[in-house]
Amino acid sequence: MNPAGPSHRPAGAGLPDAAYLATMAGLDLVGPATLRRLASLGDPAATWELIRTGRVPESVCAARAVAPRSQVERWRRQSETVDPESAWIRLRHLGIGVVALGGDGYPRMLLDDPDPPAVLFTLGDPAVLDQPCVAVVGTRKSTGYGRGVAHDLGRELAAVGVCVVSGLALGIDAAAHAGACEGGAPPAAVVGAGLDRPCPGANLALARRVAALGLVCSEVPPGTRAQPWRFPVRNRVVASLASVVVVVESARTGGSMSTVDHAVARDRTVLAVPGPVGNPASEGCNALIAEGAGVCTGVGDVLAALGLSGLVRATPEDRRETPGGDAATVLDALCWRPESVEFLARETRLDLRAVVRGLDWLERHGWVRRTGGFVQRAAAPPGGPPWSP
Amino acid sequence: MLASVSSAVVVGVEGHGVRVEVHVAGGLPSFSVVGLPDASCREARDRVRAAVLSAGFRFPPERITVNLAPTDLRKHGPCLDLPIALALLVASGQLDADPLVGTGFLGELGLDGSVRPVVGALPLAEVLGSGPLVVPLRNLDEVRLVAPGARGAATLRGVAECLQGESPWPDPEPRRSIGAGGVVGESSAERPSVDLADVQGHPLGRLAIEVAAAGGHHTLLVGPPGAGKTMLAERLVGLLPDLTDQEALEVARVHSAAGPTRPGGPVSDAPAVLSRRPPFRSPHHTASVVALVGGGSRTLRPGEISLATSGVLFMDELGEFPAAHLDALRQPLESGVVDVVRASVSARLPARFLLVGATNPCPCGFAPDPRCRCSPAQIQRYVRRLSGPVLDRFDLRVRIERPDPESLFGGGAAVESTGDVRPRVLGARQVAAGRGVRCNRMLRGDALERHAPLHPDAVDLLRDRVDRGTLSVRGAQRVRAVALTLIDLAGGSPPIGVDDLLLAEHLRIGDVTGGAAP
Ligand SMILES: [Zn+2]
Repeated sequence: MNPAGPSHRPAGAGLPDAAYLATMAGLDLVGPATLRRLASLGDPAATWELIRTGRVPESVCAARAVAPRSQVERWRRQSETVDPESAWIRLRHLGIGVVALGGDGYPRMLLDDPDPPAVLFTLGDPAVLDQPCVAVVGTRKSTGYGRGVAHDLGRELAAVGVCVVSGLALGIDAAAHAGACEGGAPPAAVVGAGLDRPCPGANLALARRVAALGLVCSEVPPGTRAQPWRFPVRNRVVASLASVVVVVESARTGGSMSTVDHAVARDRTVLAVPGPVGNPASEGCNALIAEGAGVCTGVGDVLAALGLSGLVRATPEDRRETPGGDAATVLDALCWRPESVEFLARETRLDLRAVVRGLDWLERHGWVRRTGGFVQRAAAPPGGPPWSP
Repeated sequence: MLASVSSAVVVGVEGHGVRVEVHVAGGLPSFSVVGLPDASCREARDRVRAAVLSAGFRFPPERITVNLAPTDLRKHGPCLDLPIALALLVASGQLDADPLVGTGFLGELGLDGSVRPVVGALPLAEVLGSGPLVVPLRNLDEVRLVAPGARGAATLRGVAECLQGESPWPDPEPRRSIGAGGVVGESSAERPSVDLADVQGHPLGRLAIEVAAAGGHHTLLVGPPGAGKTMLAERLVGLLPDLTDQEALEVARVHSAAGPTRPGGPVSDAPAVLSRRPPFRSPHHTASVVALVGGGSRTLRPGEISLATSGVLFMDELGEFPAAHLDALRQPLESGVVDVVRASVSARLPARFLLVGATNPCPCGFAPDPRCRCSPAQIQRYVRRLSGPVLDRFDLRVRIERPDPESLFGGGAAVESTGDVRPRVLGARQVAAGRGVRCNRMLRGDALERHAPLHPDAVDLLRDRVDRGTLSVRGAQRVRAVALTLIDLAGGSPPIGVDDLLLAEHLRIGDVTGGAAP
């Protein structure tokens, strides 16, 4: 079939190609591959005209349960309700940018991808992805331990100039991003929903911060709700952008494991943070390590995997003051899982006052964290940035 | 002919005197009630007519007008049946007027002429004052707390005969009385049915309820289902000091005014003797706002928070109570009273309770344990319900864990009983009284500065917490008040040291999920 000639150009002539691609991305049943096929038809304005008139070649349609003919018809009917020009104005209004495969500002890491996004909607600066990127990912059903590790990794990686990439989900993702926002280098988030509602409400403030400091991007246009099938698709972008993927906590199955699969398929380095035996939130990580993934015990391991190990001390020395007396007794009784003060009193045979006094010392000296009546060992001594003494 | 009789109606928990005037005159037979009666009061006509006939009296076939004065007070309830009937008998010449003069009457009439008990007999009797009083026989115990000379009435016929001196009053001799400063009840006989000695383990929970009882600090118990939160809350009430005469009377008044429609039982279950023991109320989270704080569409009845006055209000599954319910508690928690307003009437009810809340840390109850199976969104919703303004009302927020199995099977050390702990609580309350407050929770602002001086290290500690944001300025003051209670319980004296503050701080966790919240 011939591409439509200039005489068929619609009223919105002069709109950038990205405006048409952005509108096509919002059509039903359009995933990354379909969108790439649509884009490859030539001038996007002309392609839009094909859609509008129901003349899209059937070869563009994905092999799905829906027959290609009815899919083309569905697009035609949908095209009557959307208009690239007003959609483009709305994007501008929301401050959302669009970068297209092969166009300016498209992330370099994605160029070689076997399944690259045809367009990315962006809030913030896509150029932050030119820095070395590390994905810090994990389960939403995280533990305090996992979130502590993710937060520290995020902060320390950002402190040495690494762009921390994650998905802005609750749990590990959010902790890593929150840490990265404190670290210095701009962070980046890839979300599965439209940028008008990029993540669960609880993380909206964090999303705004990430967008202000770095970048929040999405493959789907605003107005697209978070649908479960989009998360694995999103995870491939996270894996593709990062040179190293660190899994902080994950069950044996779940979203983080799909990120790992995508990372392995793309030859990215995968590191896993070991966790307590018996904790479901660490089963996936421990299994990854057993299967040969690298072990991540701190920022040094990640930088070594990135080939940037010269930036930090090989093993950050523990500068925490050694506890004595009751504090030492209390710390000895504490393993890695959160414990109650009652448990500590029972284990140490100290009275509540002595335990609480010991905990205060330990907390002030960075050995433990306390939340909601529970105590757990602090994950790692905060290693400073490489230029600090 | 005209006759009048004294009686009263109850609004909220207070009685208001009512003069019942009956006028019988020639004309077409009719029976009307004027003077702002509500529907239940107007129904008195039918009951009175039937009771008068059943009792063997004549119902005058004339024009009968009943006036209830003062006319600006809305009258509710059937307690005016007996006075209306008696005034009618006098006005129709069937009963001498003299024995009724100066006597107050209360009672609902059955169609068979029996006299039935009324709601709020105690406050009703109080307002009728020191004069002679005739009340339903089943209200007599209650009424004699304030009117030792009151007589009991079983039937309309009986009342008429007793008034004429034709037969003796059917009531038993007065058993107990409260005179001027008289002694009521015997607290030693009213041992609490549950004892702290039954609680194995729970060192933190035991400490928390002891501190709550001593300092009057509102307490939130957080823990998984079956950890023993309810068990601890029930034992807290046993640690509280006995009620004073005033408090005991107030509690009896509220329970009397709440009447039989409340969970709390029928009229006969209302404290017929003044109880010295503080009440324990445990409303369910499905209770209506009215059931919780009082009010009602037709009449102003006290709610659970007033029934718990001078005692413990235990709100189990606090997170399940609707936000409006928790909001309605704000004023009572601040002021110790609740103002209930309905279209035409308003009442101020006592609501000076110790609030004990209990909640799971998350919907499944296990957070932050890895066994928790709640989604982050579920946990967030839970946390939002139990955040800021709600949490702020609790000086003490303690995590209650399932006790160590060792301590359940007698492996633990011997535990103290209620009798062992209570003297410490009473001692601490006495120390607080020396500061001019009922308990340390009441210490605010200047009074707290004066009575709870801080050791310099303790000042540094509080400053550190406020700087780090783990305590608000207000939170720091509450921790300070709790630390003072800890000192009082230990028999020490201020200034407050670092150890006391650290323990008080640990008794006030900021995150009910134990760190499970994302
Ligand atoms: Zn749970």
